[in-house]
Amino acid sequence: MAFLIRQQALRGALPRELLAACAISLNSRHFIVLNRPPPNYPGHVPLTRIEKAGLALGSAVMSLMDPHRGDLIAALGEATATPYFIYRLRDAMLSDPTGRRILRDRPRISSKTLSMEYLRALPENTVGRTYADWLDREGVSPDTRSEVQYIDNEECAYVMQRYRECHDFYHALTGLPIVREGEIALKAFEFANTLLPMTALSTFAITTLKKNERDRFWKIYLPWAVKNGAQSKEVINVYWEEQLERDVDGLRAELGVEKPVDLRTIRKAERERWRAEKEAKKRASDSLGIN
Amino acid sequence: MKPTTASARTRQLGNYICSSCSHQLRRQRRGYASVTQSIKPSIYDVVCVGGGPAGLSLLAALRSSPATANLKVALVESQDLSKTRDFLLPPNQFSNRCSSLTPSSVRFLDTIGAWKHVKKERVQGYTEMQVWDGISGARIEFDWHAEKEAGRGERPIAFMNENLNLTSGLLKRIDELGGVEIMDRERVENIGFGEESEEVDLRMWPVVELNGGRRLAARLLVGADGANSPVRAFSGIESRGWDYERHGVVATLETEGSGWGGDASKTAYQRFLPTGPVAMLPLPGNYSTLVWSTTPALAAHLKTLSPKDFIAMVNAAFRLSPVDLAYMHTQASGQADEFSWRAQHTEFDMQRIPQKAVGVQEGSIASFPLKLRHADTYIGERVALVGDAAHTIHPLAGQGLNQGQGDVESLVKTIEFAVTHGQDIGVEMSLEQYNVERYAANNMLLGVCDKLHKLYTVESGPLVGLRSIGLRAINSLGPLKAFLMAQAAGTGVKIL
Repeated sequence: MAFLIRQQALRGALPRELLAACAISLNSRHFIVLNRPPPNYPGHVPLTRIEKAGLALGSAVMSLMDPHRGDLIAALGEATATPYFIYRLRDAMLSDPTGRRILRDRPRISSKTLSMEYLRALPENTVGRTYADWLDREGVSPDTRSEVQYIDNEECAYVMQRYRECHDFYHALTGLPIVREGEIALKAFEFANTLLPMTALSTFAITTLKKNERDRFWKIYLPWAVKNGAQSKEVINVYWEEQLERDVDGLRAELGVEKPVDLRTIRKAERERWRAEKEAKKRASDSLGIN
Repeated sequence: MKPTTASARTRQLGNYICSSCSHQLRRQRRGYASVTQSIKPSIYDVVCVGGGPAGLSLLAALRSSPATANLKVALVESQDLSKTRDFLLPPNQFSNRCSSLTPSSVRFLDTIGAWKHVKKERVQGYTEMQVWDGISGARIEFDWHAEKEAGRGERPIAFMNENLNLTSGLLKRIDELGGVEIMDRERVENIGFGEESEEVDLRMWPVVELNGGRRLAARLLVGADGANSPVRAFSGIESRGWDYERHGVVATLETEGSGWGGDASKTAYQRFLPTGPVAMLPLPGNYSTLVWSTTPALAAHLKTLSPKDFIAMVNAAFRLSPVDLAYMHTQASGQADEFSWRAQHTEFDMQRIPQKAVGVQEGSIASFPLKLRHADTYIGERVALVGDAAHTIHPLAGQGLNQGQGDVESLVKTIEFAVTHGQDIGVEMSLEQYNVERYAANNMLLGVCDKLHKLYTVESGPLVGLRSIGLRAINSLGPLKAFLMAQAAGTGVKIL
């Protein structure tokens, strides 16, 4: 923790010009692993192109095998964000007044900046309350997001960090649960909206789903994700911290996002039907046995 | 204008009616024309309409050449030329209308004896040029230091000069030579054909009527009267082209220093933005002149900004991404604050962009519409067009004024030839050489600038990549670059 605080102090003390100068030198020449340049921001790990490609490949394979490795998915996101994609997302923020304000203020989302007590005390159907309810229902905390390390441009690194920290707000906005099926649906939505390659790669995890889940994805959630992700405004430009007390349906309407059919309800209904069927079958066989 | 159309009709009929009958037709027309026009015109060899850089250098050239010094010449100008003659600004003020003079234009001005009258302390030569793509950052660098090392001596690429400094110098030269009847503050009321009298037949001669009542008959009428040339309208020469839907915003800027290389080695900068190129060209000391081609709406917006925000926009135009610029164009104010924030997060090489602007001269921000126009021909019977009357070019290569000087040089040479060979200087046959020499060359330059403008207004797609590869390729091909530099300076091999 102390280390983190020190880094924060370091960031304040370093003149911006110096950071910019480092960024230029990094862009203008490639380096070899033996002489790695200094980081552009605290926590930055400069990688060569080959290292980035290796990181992308390795993290993609490993996270497909074990989707609970959030750190690997994060690394995959960073390794594949350049060239182009993270710059596009930053430019989308720069084209929007709120997006620009976010880039200027650089707010961070964690349990320290957002008090759970305050969120839980908000009226029903506000953005903040919906977010808190979602966190409580799924049993997760906003502190599970790792720091960006592999993106060279410090502003783009923040954009990636912001996307990552807002991910749970997207969950709350769409109501999609953290089960694999819900995550894939949300990733598809995020890809249509942010165009980050990692989100598209993540949807390959449908190969690991059960058949009925896969059918549901193709029939309900993929069409929803593509339509809503593409037609809605860029969700990265939502200043969530300022929207907490707002009606969540109003925000959905403003962004142009429809809430999809609740996945947990479907899954529950399906599970019950399956159980009932099994029960009925058992009872039928039991009665046969009596005869 | 009535006689013009009538005579044109007669001329057209000439194809179908035998010459004696058409002669009769003209004779009938003359009958009543002479009744209405009673003042007898004074006859001149050359009447030049328009006292801009092209018109004045034509007169100075004609008067300074021994072959043409005996011609009777007159100048008609609607503005008050005494103001131009007395052009005097303190050394910390510059007019916002500046032009780049190529070495070949300067050589011509020197030959006609006008260059020594131009205030040199207000002229700034530059030896380096930085041109880059606002989207991809691809860059081409023109630098005559390399030439110097090769032992060819350091020559400026071009000289930045206030248009008023040039016209004032030219007027001084004309005054020094004398012999030009200058009619300033006189508007051209009408241009028509003359009539036949006892002594002289002026029916095929253009006659310029001034609002003061004077009438000038010209053996050769030169139109140096700008883009909406009355002389061109009289001669029935069409001018074709298109508007760029862009305005050029000009201003005189004060920068934080006198350039990265100091006063000894100045640099011109141009960045191609999707809305059009923005250029910052060096003036003496800590001053620069700005030419920013942009859409009319954005130009109007720039003019409404406070000086502080305007300066921020100028600095942003050379540094920030097109995305940032597009956003800053939507702000009513606060660009200065926005720029200082964005400059921290944008990567640029300080040495390859202009020094920061810190001030803008009061009242120097102005704008003008950009267009391409080219007359079908530069000559007619007893008519020649020079400068903007003949062609209007996009300012991205800074060639407009130089084209006019090139026209004048060629026209004077043509007149000299006619005089020394005993030809009538006004007939189309004598003028033919001028049209031959200048038309194709100007047309090529107009086309190149037009295509460059169109190439660089593309914002995305494969064309951005291709043009960047092209620019980088030219930048690394030394001999090709040297050839292009020589062409831009007007000192290269004549290719047309």
